[in-house]
Amino acid sequence: MLYRTAGQFKSTYQADQALFPIRQDAVLLGIILLFAWVILPLTASGFVFQTLLIPVLIYALAAMGLNILSGYAGQLSLGTGAFMGVGAYACYKMVTIFPEMNLLVAVLLSGVFSAGVGVMFGLPSLRIKGFYLAIATLAAQFFLVWLFEKWAWLYNYNASGAIQVPNLKMFGVWVAGPQADDRAHYYFVLVVVTLLTIVAINLTRGSLGRSWKAVRDMDIAAELIGINLLKAKLMAFAVSSYIIGVSGALFVFAWRGAAEPNLFDIDLSFRVLFIAIIGGLGSILGNYLGAILIVALPVVLNTMPEALGLDIKSATVEHINVMVVGALIVFFLIVEPHGLARLWQLIREKLIHWPFPY
Amino acid sequence: MRQIKTLALAGAMALVGGATVAQELYTPNLSYRTGPFAATGIPLMNGQRDYMLMLNARDGGIGGVPVNFEECETGYSTEKGVECYERTKEKALVTQPWSTGITLQVLPKTNVDQIPILAPGYGFSPMADGKTFQWAFNPPASYWDGMSMILQGLAEGDLSNLAGKKIAHLHLDHPYGKEPLPLLEAMGEAHGFEVLPIPVGISEMQNQSAQWLQIRRERPDFVIMWGWGAMNAGAITEAVKTRYPMDQFVGVWWSGHSDDLQLVGEDGKGFRSVSWSLPKTDGAAMAAIKEHVLDAGDSLASEEEFNEVFYGRGVVMSAILAEGIIVAQEMHDTKELTPAQLRDGLENVNFTPERIEELGLTGMMAPFSTSCSDHTGHSGAWMLEWNGTEFVQASDLLSPDRDAIGPLEAEKAAEYASANAPWPINEACEG
Repeated sequence: MLYRTAGQFKSTYQADQALFPIRQDAVLLGIILLFAWVILPLTASGFVFQTLLIPVLIYALAAMGLNILSGYAGQLSLGTGAFMGVGAYACYKMVTIFPEMNLLVAVLLSGVFSAGVGVMFGLPSLRIKGFYLAIATLAAQFFLVWLFEKWAWLYNYNASGAIQVPNLKMFGVWVAGPQADDRAHYYFVLVVVTLLTIVAINLTRGSLGRSWKAVRDMDIAAELIGINLLKAKLMAFAVSSYIIGVSGALFVFAWRGAAEPNLFDIDLSFRVLFIAIIGGLGSILGNYLGAILIVALPVVLNTMPEALGLDIKSATVEHINVMVVGALIVFFLIVEPHGLARLWQLIREKLIHWPFPY
Repeated sequence: MRQIKTLALAGAMALVGGATVAQELYTPNLSYRTGPFAATGIPLMNGQRDYMLMLNARDGGIGGVPVNFEECETGYSTEKGVECYERTKEKALVTQPWSTGITLQVLPKTNVDQIPILAPGYGFSPMADGKTFQWAFNPPASYWDGMSMILQGLAEGDLSNLAGKKIAHLHLDHPYGKEPLPLLEAMGEAHGFEVLPIPVGISEMQNQSAQWLQIRRERPDFVIMWGWGAMNAGAITEAVKTRYPMDQFVGVWWSGHSDDLQLVGEDGKGFRSVSWSLPKTDGAAMAAIKEHVLDAGDSLASEEEFNEVFYGRGVVMSAILAEGIIVAQEMHDTKELTPAQLRDGLENVNFTPERIEELGLTGMMAPFSTSCSDHTGHSGAWMLEWNGTEFVQASDLLSPDRDAIGPLEAEKAAEYASANAPWPINEACEG
């Protein structure tokens, strides 16, 4: 009923291949964007910004980067956390060396550094596949975090070994550092995430994305039909690491405000990997759904006992929380092994046929 | 979907926030009773909690207003810590961040949010400079004070004794462990001893064979440990295994946890730890806690834990906060405080021997006072020594070498302020 497609005729191939062949999808996205851009920023409190909206967007962006590599191009990676770190440290160095640099430019440029590092560690992907490649990226993970600890130049010889985000202005408004308002942080993140999501959607639907999918499904066949494996795989590493690097820069500059090296440890890599897998490999929407489940849900659950007026000790809540989230992950993976994005697709399909399923 | 969920939450939050609040002093504690550091965290947090519960039960709170000492679980994770900070900051009088990492995250925000940070015996040492860090307090002693006192303890009072020696600094590779390094290196240069930093990564806390192999090879004259959580137990068992002489092995106050030493028992005899609190259970305050909290069944601590160093330290921590509240109530002639008023209170705490006696804390802490420009107090500390079954006092009160630390604090505080410009500095402060 809500998803009635009757009366929506396509008279050209172009219309049939459009991003939103069904009008209701476009309307739904419009509503979501309206919420994201206007309604939520007007209504959210500092707590909601800091623990739900901003981290969900940043983690979704990181998962999107990983999804391009693992979901679209089929190359396993366990080095996401370290690549985020490369972006964060690159951004930190840039804004401390050139304090007058526009933060948006710095954030977008910091992805270039992680793309470079990503390509370097992506080179083995030409020879090794699957789990073996995962081990090669694991090496990147450990090596880079070690580097963040040992190379004091990266954190400007700070005694604590941590990087601190300075106060930065953009067009007369504080956008980073302790002086910045939550709203400014949020809009900054939202602009970057929206921009990169549009780029990612177009890349994955274009010829590059098709060559990635071909490589993922069978690389020998892809090579036979004329796809340059070297180019396709390294492009996947470059684009993926670029997005991950940008998300790392946002992670520190628009959210955390300070970071020590072990923040980018393997735990972070796994967290992003879980988001990508639970959200759905090979989908853009899935990253957002996964991030909501992994990042936002525990925060919401943490506030539940208080909201319901239950008197449970904070540590107990934490234990229950871990159990509930774990159970939910198992539940969703049993119900739909292809992730939340696929689950939404099935629901949508059902809605289109409703009330006359066949 | 994401938005709908979050909006629903926003609605729920608004409902919670709108509920009326009874008169209380809300002093949330960002505790960690879960995760890799829980073993060391629990006794401290129990001590803190029980002192406040005792005040509520015995005196009906502080100045007649009950204290709400709610805990927010962080698991020592910086991310959760910031979540807790955001959740509590609306009503909180004070932030007790409980980790150097979380302290570093919330420190820059204090000038904007105007909530004092109380980090007793931890955090960023230059926070002592009250002119620069107007909202941060780390009484009664900072890490740099601790390092200076350890060196004096090792040198038996005369630092020139250390000339030509080699001192290893075995530390957690985390802002916390690196904190004392600048001072140690400066002291090494000034007094002619060699400093050997040995970092222990968070992932290798429980298996320090590589680090202890290095210690065996380098044969340092002393090993100073800046460890926490599972790292302490790891280091102490490795030290016993490699037969490193225990009387040359000294830890900061967070490394002197009885449970860690009980693992090795007699073999750990001689291990020392500097401490600004002493475990004494015969004072009036401890008796009151026993009567009103432990025996009433409100405590989370066990009978055994009650006698430990860390529990007593937790009690002293809460006593410092409670004293800050009392001073603030007197200064502003009001019972219910604002964060800014509490800041004034914490700035004017004066623990004279008489006051300590009055609070029933005699022998548990050393006298100190804070001021507008001195947010630490630099109380001094004692050496505690493990005698095989428990920690006992092993030295007179040591005091930090302020002439060496002061300039370094001023320098690092100025560095911090310039890196975080615009950073307000309280020029009105005297001295």
